[in-house]
Amino acid sequence: MKPKIIDRFVIFVRPLFRRGRGSLVAGITIVAAFYMMCIFADFLAPYDYREVSLGEPLAPPARIRFRDEEGRWRTRPFIHPQRLADPLERRYEENLQRSYSLEFFTSGYRYKIFGLTTDRHLFGVGKGDDGKTARVHLLGTDVLGRDRLSRLLLASRFSLLVGPLSTLIACVIGILIGCTAGYGRGRIDAVLMRIADTMMAFPTLVLILAARAAFPLELPPWRAATLLITIFVALGWAEMARLTRGLVMELRERDFVLAAISLGLSPARVLWRHILPNARRPLTVNALLMLPTFLLAEMALSFFGVGVQEPEASWGNILTAASEITLLERGHALILVAPAFAIMLFMIGVRLLSNGLDRDQFQDQFKDKEIATFHRPQLAPRE
Amino acid sequence: MSKLIFELILTRIAQGILVLLILSILIFGLLGAAGGDAVSALTDSSHTSEEIARELRRIYGLDQPFAVRYARWISDLLRGHLGYSISYQAPVGAILRPRLINTAVLAALAMAIAWVTALTLGTLAAPRAGTWIDQLCSLTVIVASSTPRLVLALLTLAFITHIPFENTRLGWFFQLMLPTFVLSVPLMAILLAQMRGRVREIYDEEFVRAARAKGFSERIILIRHVLRPSLNPLITISGYALGGLISGSVIVERVFGWPGIGHLSVTAVQSRDVPLLMGIVLVTATTVLAGNLLADIFLRLNDPRLR
Repeated sequence: MKPKIIDRFVIFVRPLFRRGRGSLVAGITIVAAFYMMCIFADFLAPYDYREVSLGEPLAPPARIRFRDEEGRWRTRPFIHPQRLADPLERRYEENLQRSYSLEFFTSGYRYKIFGLTTDRHLFGVGKGDDGKTARVHLLGTDVLGRDRLSRLLLASRFSLLVGPLSTLIACVIGILIGCTAGYGRGRIDAVLMRIADTMMAFPTLVLILAARAAFPLELPPWRAATLLITIFVALGWAEMARLTRGLVMELRERDFVLAAISLGLSPARVLWRHILPNARRPLTVNALLMLPTFLLAEMALSFFGVGVQEPEASWGNILTAASEITLLERGHALILVAPAFAIMLFMIGVRLLSNGLDRDQFQDQFKDKEIATFHRPQLAPRE
Repeated sequence: MSKLIFELILTRIAQGILVLLILSILIFGLLGAAGGDAVSALTDSSHTSEEIARELRRIYGLDQPFAVRYARWISDLLRGHLGYSISYQAPVGAILRPRLINTAVLAALAMAIAWVTALTLGTLAAPRAGTWIDQLCSLTVIVASSTPRLVLALLTLAFITHIPFENTRLGWFFQLMLPTFVLSVPLMAILLAQMRGRVREIYDEEFVRAARAKGFSERIILIRHVLRPSLNPLITISGYALGGLISGSVIVERVFGWPGIGHLSVTAVQSRDVPLLMGIVLVTATTVLAGNLLADIFLRLNDPRLR
């Protein structure tokens, strides 16, 4: 007989590999990979993301080489150090005489992970032929000479915290309000839903900007994060409330709920034990669809310079820093493409995940029926 | 039928006025409660003395309590004035008008692109489940719906810096089409997904089978029997999407330097120009409400079952 814990694991994992679950598995993998990246960001980043190095502003991405000038293969990949040839134009030249080989598990700045303090980093460059040290910037540096790759890795922490956390809180509040409206019905329902409609009908970004305008621009990162989360929650609960209300109204007429009510269970218990478990799937899917909106709002605010302030990093201000026109004209497309690709990949992951869950849910109900990809709450009001 | 639509319009207008009133109080209160106004933005940046700041506040009535300022604003509004922008030194209405037209052009073109793409690809893909065009459709939906407008706009910008199109004869065309395209992409994804799903659903309906049994050609069936009922979700979504389009235009206009409402709203926020910001919120909110109403009217015109 198999031990129980493995049994549970199998029950949880096996459905993922049934036919047609490709998008669910792909989605979970991508999203999980991003969160692993957040946890191990310090380890993956070669340098401190705030460390200014004025000697190398706006350096282009380093070229990793495998063969030296004479065309011989080296045992280790290496880079040539970059020298600021023209400080005014910020043009760089590679110093072909010197080379530094790429090394793994090098020592760098100290950081804490799982309560341990360590200085190991995934990669870096060792000492060169002449005993001097150099820095390797796979995505180049920004105006202040900070390593773009390290900034991108650490930025995902802020962005992937604010977006999902505000989605979560907005969902909890939305579900509570939706339950109250859907279960209470009558006047309380009318009042709550009118407010929700007001919130839903408006251009969110303009409202977020207006709300943000009410607070001072310069805020420490934790205050900024709290403020952004509060604004997003205040504007985002309505959609969830609308969907929950519709589901609760539908479910509370079902026989098993009526039976539970007639047994004398309290409304809270009926909702928690009988109604919400049956509304789990559409609620999860909708929550996953809300997530990108908040991620985008955070990015947009930082892009306009009213979100997170430097030197803290978020995907928004990384994108802004990467879209400087001089860099683009010089053809360092990689600098812009890297953060853009990271953002898109995460979005695609979330989308695949919600698609997978959605499809699953519909397949449970009607076999082989084509599903609507976008699950929107009561889009067509039928009066 | 027309009586019902008339009733709908009246109730919506009444509700809309109430909603706008609540929203204006909310935004006005929020901006007032947080402290900081257009004058404090002025003192932040330059060396304006305390006396001058106080004098300016007196002139613009910023030293009055919240209720008085709001009452003044709303009574001005009832007389048809949107107030006076402090940072632009001009009436808000005069600032808004040309920018509103610019944004309207952008949004209308974006909407048109989204509709045309959704209709063609959706009707092509729906009856051909599993073929390459269907899969292309799925791919378009996934990629387009997960590409943020900001990212797409910046990538487009990076792309066009390498093409010196400004001096060519088609320069104006690119200048208009690039922001429009970026604005339309996420909307296109939603419309396309809905269209494909709906058309496929409707092909299974009894009335389509009846039409087939009568011997109509597939083309006639598509145009006369399938297309019209499948437009319903598209109409509804387009109504709701106006808000999203205006949000999107904030980003697109900022990146491409298009002088519209979105561009203006960022400026208004940065200079904490309350009258201007209130004007923008009011205008955009009215547009969205009007869009929802229009969508509902079109829905009833298109689908007799809803009347």
